Amino acid sequence: MKKNNYIFKITMYLLIFLLISPLVILVIWSFVRIWPWPNLLPRDYGLRGFKHVLDPSTKSLRVLFLSVGLSSLVTLCTLLISIPAAKALGVYEFRGKGFFKMLILAPIIVPPVAVAMGIHIAFIKLGLANTFLGVVFVHLVPCIPYAVRILTNVFEIIGESMEMQARVLGASPLQTFIKITLPLMAPGLLSAGSLVFIVSLSQYFLTFLIGGGRIITLPMLMFPYIQSGDRMMASTYSIIFIVTALIMLLIMERIVRNYYKEQNYFYI
Amino acid sequence: MYKIELKNISKVFENKRVLKGINLIVNEGEMLSLLGPSGCGKTTTLKIIAGLFSPDCGDILFNGKSIVNIPVEKRGAVIVFQDYLLFPHMTVEENIAFGLKMAKIKKPKRRVKVREMIDLVKLDGCEKKYPSELSGGQKQRVAIARALAIEPKVLLLDEPFSNLDTRLRESMRIFVCDIQKKLGITTILVTHDKEEALLTSHRVAVILDGEIKQIGTPAEVYEKPSSPLVADFFGEKNYLEGEIIKGFFVCKMGKFKTGFDKYPRVMAMIRPEEIELTDSEEGSGFWGRILSKQYAGDKIYYKLSANDIQLKCMANSKNMFEANQRVWLKIDFEKTIFFKAEKS
Ligand SMILES: Nc1ncnc2c1ncn2[C@@H]1O[C@H](COP(=O)(O)OP(=O)(O)OP(=O)(O)O)[C@@H](O)[C@H]1O
Ligand SMILES: [Mg+2]
Repeated sequence: MKKNNYIFKITMYLLIFLLISPLVILVIWSFVRIWPWPNLLPRDYGLRGFKHVLDPSTKSLRVLFLSVGLSSLVTLCTLLISIPAAKALGVYEFRGKGFFKMLILAPIIVPPVAVAMGIHIAFIKLGLANTFLGVVFVHLVPCIPYAVRILTNVFEIIGESMEMQARVLGASPLQTFIKITLPLMAPGLLSAGSLVFIVSLSQYFLTFLIGGGRIITLPMLMFPYIQSGDRMMASTYSIIFIVTALIMLLIMERIVRNYYKEQNYFYI
Repeated sequence: MYKIELKNISKVFENKRVLKGINLIVNEGEMLSLLGPSGCGKTTTLKIIAGLFSPDCGDILFNGKSIVNIPVEKRGAVIVFQDYLLFPHMTVEENIAFGLKMAKIKKPKRRVKVREMIDLVKLDGCEKKYPSELSGGQKQRVAIARALAIEPKVLLLDEPFSNLDTRLRESMRIFVCDIQKKLGITTILVTHDKEEALLTSHRVAVILDGEIKQIGTPAEVYEKPSSPLVADFFGEKNYLEGEIIKGFFVCKMGKFKTGFDKYPRVMAMIRPEEIELTDSEEGSGFWGRILSKQYAGDKIYYKLSANDIQLKCMANSKNMFEANQRVWLKIDFEKTIFFKAEKS
């Protein structure tokens, strides 16, 4: 027992170290002007990165807000679409269920890049190319599989019995959904929502293709710097990216917690 | 309160016929037990009555009116499920108030009703607790209070006592029976516990394999089972094959007076407690040998063999017999139940 405990702790610290150390280097890099090879520490520091981001003329902050808005909207739409699909897959029995479960994962198994051209042509015909709405739609492609997968498991666990109980006590289907189903699946919504938000926030290629350069998101600002080897700027944007994601996750958690009271009944 | 009628209700799940034409009448204010082994379709029957499943064919009437097309929430039949299903994100109070809220009852009235229910099920002090903080018995009382709060016309109890220990089960059973009598709610109690069914209800319906095999008062069902299947459900039985000839039952053991003729080929059903053991020949009966003995305090279970037939016997512990002892099995065949023998 005790030995297990040590192994557990060592593994945990190792993992934390592995996760933290790149971040530390990232933070250092974002303030570094010159860090020539054999030196252990950088030679010269500067604030060019953060100044650039905060400077209104670069529009970095506007892009940041657009990115967050876009990804929030994508998250919301994804969850709205995924809940009914996940309920069908998790609770109901029908023929070909296994097949549909596989099929819904297809966009993750087949890289969206592979079908992006087709989508692009279709969107041009529909007038969705180069629009905000088009980008939202195309982000749903890689997002929905994750959300459906997570929520299916959630529905498999909560099942239908609580809903049945609510119905016999006089609740209509809609009331049952709002008062019983949603609160019960809150933890699942939280994890699905966070994952989807990050998947959407990190999309580069799909945004680039469908947005046609009109819709600029955070990764699109970041990419040129990574490519050209400007590590200071790239690190700065990376940090902004990470902090944004973390803040959004905290906000989501707060909303869910507050909405369904702070009782942590579902973690028991 | 409603009178419930089920007419030829059938239900098929994935090519499996779970209910095969259930016909059942539950009178207004009656407490009826639905007794049957696991998987025979008891829960399915309740769900069909409540409207959670729709029957494949047949009709359900409440007070003579068909309710098959009325949605669940408007039927006025509440199920208390086996595993209570308290809403984990609501306190005891909120759980009990849930049905009232759905019925759009105003807050002051709701509060009075919840208070009343909490007093009724003796849960003072638990109002603000969450279900995860309650014991099994408390959870069950909350579930019952929640169901009773909306004053249902029909109460459907699905093995509500099966998760409780013996003592708690007994007190909950008495408690629920009292409430049922007081409020006069038409109630169906599903159970696979024969004693529970016999103790609590006005009538018992035995359901086996998706069909109602017998329905009657507890005494009728126990004393006069309609078939060996029903009889076996109320405890292990001994069966003796034989013939009835001119008022006598003739079998391997001998010839015994029955006083009536029925079918020529019969099976005599002898309950373990109907065999009396003595060490000398006395009354109608036959000799046997004790194979084994199991001591259970107030009673003793014997396994006997007579004429190569094994018999089970339950006796009180006044006079004990030892294994291998020769004993006289005294049986009153004039009170024995005879079934028509199945051709095998
Ligand atoms: N939703 C469902 N889908 C498919 N089959 C079902 C469903 N509900 C029940 N069944 C099947 O119907 C049969 C009867 O189930 P039911 O729950 O009515 O049994 P029961 O008499 O209540 O048993 P128990 O005493 O174990 O609760 C079982 O074989 C079960 O597998
Ligand atoms: Mg059941």
